[in-house]
Amino acid sequence: MKLWIVFMHVLLVSCSVWANYQDQQDNEFAEFEEFESDDAFVQSTGAENLMKEPEPIDADNIFITDDDDGDIIINDDSEFEHFQDTEEFEGFAESREEKIEVEPKITITKVPIHFRANWDSYWLEILMVTGLIVYFINFATGKSKNTMLANTWFQSHKQLLEDNFTLVGDDGALEHIKESGGLLKESENTFTLWCSGRTCCEGMLVELKLIKRQDLVAVISGMMRPTLDQVHIKVTMDSDAMEPFVFCVASKKTATHVSKETNDISVYCPERKSGERYNIPSNFQVMSEILEATSAMLDSKVTAILNKYTDLVDYIHISDQYSGAKQTEDTGALKLPEVKKVLLFGFNMPVKGMSPTEAVEQLKPLMVLVFYCIEKVKRFRLSKESKTKADKNRLRVEEVFLKSTHAARAEAAANRREEKRRLEKEKVMAEEDPERQRRWEEKDQKRQAKKRAPKMKQLKVKAL
Amino acid sequence: MIPGNVDPRRPDKVQRYKAPQANGNAPVEDLTPDYMNILGMVFSMCGLMMRLKWCAWVALYCSCISFANSRISDDTKQILSSFMLSISAIVMSYLQNPQPMTPPWATAVN
Repeated sequence: MKLWIVFMHVLLVSCSVWANYQDQQDNEFAEFEEFESDDAFVQSTGAENLMKEPEPIDADNIFITDDDDGDIIINDDSEFEHFQDTEEFEGFAESREEKIEVEPKITITKVPIHFRANWDSYWLEILMVTGLIVYFINFATGKSKNTMLANTWFQSHKQLLEDNFTLVGDDGALEHIKESGGLLKESENTFTLWCSGRTCCEGMLVELKLIKRQDLVAVISGMMRPTLDQVHIKVTMDSDAMEPFVFCVASKKTATHVSKETNDISVYCPERKSGERYNIPSNFQVMSEILEATSAMLDSKVTAILNKYTDLVDYIHISDQYSGAKQTEDTGALKLPEVKKVLLFGFNMPVKGMSPTEAVEQLKPLMVLVFYCIEKVKRFRLSKESKTKADKNRLRVEEVFLKSTHAARAEAAANRREEKRRLEKEKVMAEEDPERQRRWEEKDQKRQAKKRAPKMKQLKVKAL
Repeated sequence: MIPGNVDPRRPDKVQRYKAPQANGNAPVEDLTPDYMNILGMVFSMCGLMMRLKWCAWVALYCSCISFANSRISDDTKQILSSFMLSISAIVMSYLQNPQPMTPPWATAVN
């Protein structure tokens, strides 16, 4: 019943909407015009009654009379009466009153803005797309500039490198060495070059770490915190080509970083001295293990270069105990990290305000310095006292390390022994011969008993 | 500086290039592409699930930054999938709701 009421109401509302737009002159509905001031519900009810045949309504309650024209006129009173009949409708009287009081709510449905009609409202999207376009344009230009810079550097230094190394540029691929090897691109701003085939050194790795010109975010952050293009050179010496010493001269900021982060400098060179002592500009700091080595390395030629190209030299690090950066967490290593004899150089390459060719040309004397240092290190010999001191230092470091890892090593050794026993046992168990098994078990038991027994010193009584 | 008459080159001493990072110590290199990749994926998922257009756009930007900073040795599939995910997040957001985007601070202000 209730459902039917709801359905009827929906139909009535829709019909009232339809009826309102009808021609006022339409005689069929002329009689209902005077009821427009009345409750809308009543009017629509009337219209509905005319159009449809209300079924469950009791026919007795409707007085339908015919007028002279043959039109059907529905008596008002009977109609009202009909709807006030409580027998017919349940709970109707109360709800009817409620409905009369409530005004029909008009909700304006949200019509989506059509894109073509209204560009302005999409300003944020347009901004985003523009940002993307700008990003990709910057990517293309930055990438090409970096590549151009790297290639210019290579072309300018190629002759010098080829004079010193047999192999200039190797990609490390398994097949035969490519003769025309050149720079290797690690990323859009990092390029490497491997050179090999020279006396006293295994090889030289040159890394061009350029500014991230291809990333717009990096470019913007570079405006706030400027960075420089850098050239990092790592020369790996032969194992017999270098005396044992650790030495480093670096600009202040790099010196702080290096003395804290690098394994060898932090262990062997606890002090940092200002460069003024050694006739080099004060913004350099010197960290050295052996004084003799310092004065040997910072000879007249090197100091001249350091004085002339102060801005271009970032660091010079010569070490026979180089093992990379300090491990931050305790890796539980049982052995000292592997050390290499290396010469490390870091040079800045300011590019602002000059052509790429000029920028790379200013680094050429520094590359010559690199080769000079290699030769120097090869020829340098420590005095006896210095050498003893150096060896003692290394021994001490090793002892400290061994002590600190003693517990861990003992545990590892015990684990290994246990493992060995287990394997042996398994092997014996797997054998078919019971005799052998028995014999092995006896042996094992004897071994255990011996271990558990307190260690007593055997006193030998001399026979008188 | 170097005596010019001695040729330092030794063809018999040539060693092939071995890429570093053979040992297990922490890579000192830049981790930006990895972080941006993850961030991009997180924003894409947010944009897809919560139908936030600005999330989807930020995801696309993160993918672009990751691409620009990536190394040559990195897997291109990773970068491509990140791009595809962010583009799909944008497309889905606009298909479901063609309204123009409201900036995130607008909801905070209102």
